[in-house]
Amino acid sequence: MTLAIEATGSRRSRWSSITAWDLCRWAMAICVTIVVVFPIWWMVNVVFTEPGTPVSINPRLYPTSFAAGWDKVAMIMRETGYLHAYYMSMAYALLTIAGVLLLGSMAAFEFALFEFPGKRPLFGLIMLSLMVPTAVTIIPTYLLTAELGWINTMQGLVAPGLASAFGLFLLVEFMKGLPKEMIEAARLDGARHFQIYWHVVLPLTRNAMVTLAILTFMKTWGNFIWPLIVLSNAEKYTVSQVVGLFNAPFSHQTVDVVMTANLLAAIPPLLFFLIFQRKIVEGIAMSGSKG
Amino acid sequence: MTMNLRHLPHYLMVLPFVALFAAFFLYPIVSGFYYSFHDWNAVTEPHFVGLANYERIVGSRDFSRAMWNLVTYVVITVPLGIAVAFGLALLVDSFSGFWSNLFRSVFFLPVVLPAFLAATIWRWMYAPNFGLVNMVLGWFGYPSVNFLNDTDTMLFSLIAVDIWVSAGFNMVILLAGLKNIPVDLYEAARLDGASRLQQVRHVTIPMLAPVLFFVMTYGLISALQVFDVPWLLTGSSFTNYGGRQNALLFPVMDMMGRAFGSVRFGQASAYGFILTALIIVVTAGMFGLRAMRSKP
Amino acid sequence: MRSSAMLKSATVLLAFAASSARAADEPVTLEYWVYSDFAQGDALALQQTFISEFKEKHPNVTINISGRGDDDLTAGQIAGAASGTLPDVFMNGLAVGAQLVEVGALSNLYPLWMEMPEEYRAQFDADALKSCMPKPEELYCLPYTGFGEIMFRNLTVLEEAGIDTSQPPKTWDEWYGQMQAVQKAGKYAVPDQTQVFNSVASTYAIVGGIDGWGIDFAAMKTKIDPETYAKVLQLFVDMAPLNSGTSRNDQSTKDLFITNQLAFHVVGPWVNPTYEQAAKESGLKYDFVLVPGMKEGEHGGIKSYEIVGVAPGDHQKIAFEFAAYITEKNQMARWAKLLSRYNANAEAMADPDVAALPLIEKSVQAVKYAVDVMPPYFEGAYPNCYRSIVTDNAAMVADGDASPEEGAKELVEELNDCLAN
Repeated sequence: MTLAIEATGSRRSRWSSITAWDLCRWAMAICVTIVVVFPIWWMVNVVFTEPGTPVSINPRLYPTSFAAGWDKVAMIMRETGYLHAYYMSMAYALLTIAGVLLLGSMAAFEFALFEFPGKRPLFGLIMLSLMVPTAVTIIPTYLLTAELGWINTMQGLVAPGLASAFGLFLLVEFMKGLPKEMIEAARLDGARHFQIYWHVVLPLTRNAMVTLAILTFMKTWGNFIWPLIVLSNAEKYTVSQVVGLFNAPFSHQTVDVVMTANLLAAIPPLLFFLIFQRKIVEGIAMSGSKG
Repeated sequence: MTMNLRHLPHYLMVLPFVALFAAFFLYPIVSGFYYSFHDWNAVTEPHFVGLANYERIVGSRDFSRAMWNLVTYVVITVPLGIAVAFGLALLVDSFSGFWSNLFRSVFFLPVVLPAFLAATIWRWMYAPNFGLVNMVLGWFGYPSVNFLNDTDTMLFSLIAVDIWVSAGFNMVILLAGLKNIPVDLYEAARLDGASRLQQVRHVTIPMLAPVLFFVMTYGLISALQVFDVPWLLTGSSFTNYGGRQNALLFPVMDMMGRAFGSVRFGQASAYGFILTALIIVVTAGMFGLRAMRSKP
Repeated sequence: MRSSAMLKSATVLLAFAASSARAADEPVTLEYWVYSDFAQGDALALQQTFISEFKEKHPNVTINISGRGDDDLTAGQIAGAASGTLPDVFMNGLAVGAQLVEVGALSNLYPLWMEMPEEYRAQFDADALKSCMPKPEELYCLPYTGFGEIMFRNLTVLEEAGIDTSQPPKTWDEWYGQMQAVQKAGKYAVPDQTQVFNSVASTYAIVGGIDGWGIDFAAMKTKIDPETYAKVLQLFVDMAPLNSGTSRNDQSTKDLFITNQLAFHVVGPWVNPTYEQAAKESGLKYDFVLVPGMKEGEHGGIKSYEIVGVAPGDHQKIAFEFAAYITEKNQMARWAKLLSRYNANAEAMADPDVAALPLIEKSVQAVKYAVDVMPPYFEGAYPNCYRSIVTDNAAMVADGDASPEEGAKELVEELNDCLAN
């Protein structure tokens, strides 16, 4: 803001108006960009380099062999069923997103906009569960899932993650800010309870829903422990499990192969981010400022 | 009866959520609590042992080590992480238009990577001798540092990764908070002769307080449950975890090890409840602090 | 009309006949879990050959093979035991055997074992078999692949350091001299042996005998003797300035070896495929020899076996038959030839084609001298604190925070304390 005023105030060339502060902030921004981007770039280079070249000769600052990288990708695709793992992870993420959004928004609609007996204690209880580490509940949840006969099934993978306390919190906070008059107006027009939710509140909550969908995607894509124990059949492995085979401490693979498996896991979230980056960043910004 | 009928639609709407919540959170938590008083290997009949699990954990050397690590880690990583995020937010805010959006997206990039991926990349970046970090140090004539295997550097290596991963997330939230601060407040401050730094101190920070509170509370709760990044950085397995001299041993790691490594699920549950209690106390403390500060 | 009625009654008859036949003829699906590297590439192809051969004899059986990392095997088996969804046949390490028995994932196979012909039973290495048999008439697993540690030497590094590589070092002193020469040449001698339990055990094996390692489960005391162990700790102190700072299992350790930065890698034979490939692709020059001991004629190194377990339950009998099939001499010999991996079937190891493989020849020798990693098996589970105390103690002494004598004394106290709780 200040800069704009100074710049228009002066009739001299643009260059002479560059202050020390300008130099400083550009330098900082570029440094941070390097720190952020380089590790990811480096991973790509490790993959696309002939294996076995010492680092002293080739420090992996840029890719040197496309063919070598492609061979590794092909090898992993051939030997691990990576494509099917993509499908499993996608299905897991999308079904979870759909469920979290639907159940969460229905419940949030009530918790945020209406009063009914038992609302406060119930909501408090759900919020308290945010503080329990997952490791506490994982075995009883697993035993229950097994009892239902859901081991190695999609419903076993997805269902336990649907009632997201965090998602509810986010949506309730957002819906609290909706104008109450609109709901009253709709009710006077003769809309039924569910219609108000579906036709009035849901469209207004779109931004929050997008945020929640993004956060849920990131969480399920990286989720490791739950798929590990619930999907024991190799034909149903998710991406994180397949990568786990390579990341295991006793895995007998070399660095470049391990990195290839990891890079393949990073591609969908990176693509997702590149396509939706504005929405993602703005959605997350919104979630925080509502808190 | 009429009361109930009037509220029925509300209950029907929350029912799906509450039913799943009860089945997959409440029931496991309650049964976990039950098992925490039992010697239980997840298969044979649980055997009641009273408080023995709790006593055993609190008396174990791994617990004291894990708690000490956790406290040091949280005390450094949460404030430092927020300071970095705040700095980045101010930096991005100082640009406008295209550059502002670009830097914002770039700084956010690590957040979208799965945690296991970030940990794996950094494990290699930190590798002694040929890891990238050591290579850069080598260019400047420094000897190779064994970041992940030297008890003096391990915790800081973890914190650096942690900030690399999470700074973008907090930055975006803080940035939105910054944009919501009315411009005239800065103008007023400038008219009063406040320098850029003074503006940050007297306008930005107080106006950002609610957002900072959110970021800090959320950061605290997740930092107290830290697990996958140190687990992967130390190449841990259920039978061997925590890194050299347990310098990166954290409660959730110890809990997972006791569960799947030693098959002591009763003990692991008890561990979980000790940690839960700690998280609740810390969060309640945060809310208490906010309540105190908001009173004049 | 009539013919269709006849057909119908014939079907009914057939169905009746089938139902009165042995239950084994009903379709059965067996879940079969193996280590992830056994479910990739050539190894997977051979496993699938075994499966289809077995199916020829048992057409009613379907076998699903799936690979998993070491940790996932254990976690999955424990979770499966808890929920009654165990895999029917599975691999794991001897070291987790006691835990698997405790949760009921493994049961006594002795009766089924005794039903097998004597000719089959006599094929196994006696020591390996004993590891699965804590008591007479109790057998919890079939020993499968195994390892006796060997020492991989990077010949390029050693030559650069001016070392005559025609003979491997005969004693620790000679070996240590070579390590120092390697360091003078600006290379790393060894990985950091304090980092994982197995490499600490391996260093113990250079100094101590098989009786001074492990737990006495009757007394719940460690068998480690502080006086001997102080000498072990001294080796860590000696190696501290020479090591690469990476653990022996780190992928980066293999990278250092491949890129001629590291001289010695004491480890199991599973790293050999990586080194063999590097020899082909980038001209790595290496060999493998027995690990030296303190005195000439003695050797260090640890050993252990992977096991094939069979879950209790309805399918146990057919699952055991499959386990017996894959551990039989012919299959074990093919498996050994493909992977150059030593295994517990002594007759397969004696097969001339197998015995001629250099890696197996060395492994067979190494196993004779080696110390078990976590003995005794199937008598009790090692508590987690035990392993972490051992590695932390070694690291502490190597870092110079305590003298070897103090360290050894402290170690025994802490271990007994850990076992008592």
